[in-house]
Amino acid sequence: MELLCFGLNHRTAPVEFRERFAVVSSRLGEKAAELGQLAGIEEAVVVSTCNRTEFYVAGTSADAAAVGLKELLGEGADEHWYELRKREAAVHLCAVASGLDSMVLGETEIFGQIKEAYRLAHEAGATGPVLNRLFQRAFGVGKKVRTETAIQEGATSVAGAAVELAEKIFGKLDGCRVIVIGAGDTSRQTAQALVSRGASTVFVTNRSHERAVALADELGGRAVKFDEWQAVLAGVDVVISSTSAPHHVVQPFHVEAVRRVRKYRPLFLIDIAVPRDIDPAVGEIEEVYLYDIDTLAQLAQEARGRRERQIAGCREMIERELEKLNLPGT
Amino acid sequence: MEVRIGLGVARGGEARQWVGVDRWLLILSTLCAVIGGVTGMMAVHRGRRSRWTVVWMSLAFLAQLGFLSIRGEARQACPLVGIGEILVFLAWSLTLFYLLVGPPYRISLLGVFSAPLVALFQAIALIPGMLESSPDPVGGTTAWGETHAAMSVLGYGALALAAVAAVMFLVLDRLLKGHRLTSGLFRNLPPARELLVSLRRLLWLGWSMLSVGVVAGFRMPHGENALPHLISATAVWIGYAVLLGILQFRGLTGRRLALLTVGFFVLSLSVFALV
Repeated sequence: MELLCFGLNHRTAPVEFRERFAVVSSRLGEKAAELGQLAGIEEAVVVSTCNRTEFYVAGTSADAAAVGLKELLGEGADEHWYELRKREAAVHLCAVASGLDSMVLGETEIFGQIKEAYRLAHEAGATGPVLNRLFQRAFGVGKKVRTETAIQEGATSVAGAAVELAEKIFGKLDGCRVIVIGAGDTSRQTAQALVSRGASTVFVTNRSHERAVALADELGGRAVKFDEWQAVLAGVDVVISSTSAPHHVVQPFHVEAVRRVRKYRPLFLIDIAVPRDIDPAVGEIEEVYLYDIDTLAQLAQEARGRRERQIAGCREMIERELEKLNLPGT
Repeated sequence: MEVRIGLGVARGGEARQWVGVDRWLLILSTLCAVIGGVTGMMAVHRGRRSRWTVVWMSLAFLAQLGFLSIRGEARQACPLVGIGEILVFLAWSLTLFYLLVGPPYRISLLGVFSAPLVALFQAIALIPGMLESSPDPVGGTTAWGETHAAMSVLGYGALALAAVAAVMFLVLDRLLKGHRLTSGLFRNLPPARELLVSLRRLLWLGWSMLSVGVVAGFRMPHGENALPHLISATAVWIGYAVLLGILQFRGLTGRRLALLTVGFFVLSLSVFALV
């Protein structure tokens, strides 16, 4: 039995090409079973995400399997596609499961997507002893790489960095109250990220009240008139500010006025506006943690750098693990 | 009463055979705390959580128990005679609260911060002259006296752990304020709000136990020479009561609360100088 991986991803193919070969998740099992009917293929798993489409197949002849796949894919099957065989294919699957081949290095979503692709192929009866063992081992290796290295440590986006900091200040974000000042795109993403991690109440204020209402609806929050946001400040834990105002919108006296009512609880201020919305002097207030766009972007950049420095170590770990396993088909 | 004293003498005699071993147990406990602290710090420096700190601290706790049981049998009372025994009891109480409070909360790092304090208290107790080499039974103990000593020192254990949590908060606050967020220490520290919640709970727990200790202190038979100790203990109790009152009704910034907790604990140790 020989193992073959035939695929394309965000590095080898542009989106307009990737979308032609994408397989919807509900058809992954069916497609894998279909591949199993081709000459030279006995087992198959189809992985398809927005960044990749990959066919993992095992059969008596990798050459025959490759020919069969190309015929099935038709025009364009030579361009942008990569063909990996035996051990190379196994290493690649482990790297994908570990997030090493993802657009956002170390991201976790791909692990679940591969698991789901395998489950669907298995349920469709398209897998056998070679791919069953390969995928089970790849999940084990993927988990090991993720837990024993820093490949998924640190947030790699501004919104992610802000959420990580909020969790460092407040712990679980359940029950956290947030106010968004200015309905910009980055503030929307940051607020969404906070809500996805449990923030319970979101207030949105904007000079144009209609935009505040629209964003509040999107976030499941409440719109506040722009001249009333100061009253809300006493009850929130996080402030995200991104207006296009040419001057400081949040000034020390705004926070000083509500400190007593807040009983001096920690307050996290995220300033993602340029020019800055929050007077840097606000950060000198004891219980205030103030972060601007540059600091958050730098944190995200550093996290990406740290992850990149992990790649070689992760690949060595994958090689070591596969060495021990002696998988069939490799 | 006769029977109790008879048994006490017999058990005291047996325990006396073990006197000498107690010091070795204390050395062992101190070494475990040092190893737990150092390995924990090394792990944190590498950006990992130390899973072994809790194990070393548990071993230190067992050795403390051995030490205190030998001394307790020899004293036929709670072993709280002299600064040496009080410091070991305090270290035991701090370790106990760490092991009780730790699990739901980042145990390894709380251990990393607690271990140096435990090692320090025990190292001072090991200085020649701090521990009586041949502890005699304590005569004339009363229930109030025992309650005073035990509850006060247990209360101090909780307050010591509150001070440890306060130091952790101060470190985290400084890192967050200065935007220095890449160290292993930062990644391993618990969230600021969780630290403040734990700090508050430990302060209430310690103060409640101290309250029982102070009341028992005034109820136990005492001469005029015990008055300075009782007055200073009461002053400490009032100090913590005021701190908790302000925290409850007015609120305090995390940094001020943490600084006051550490400051009060250091000042309150002076009570032991008057034992």
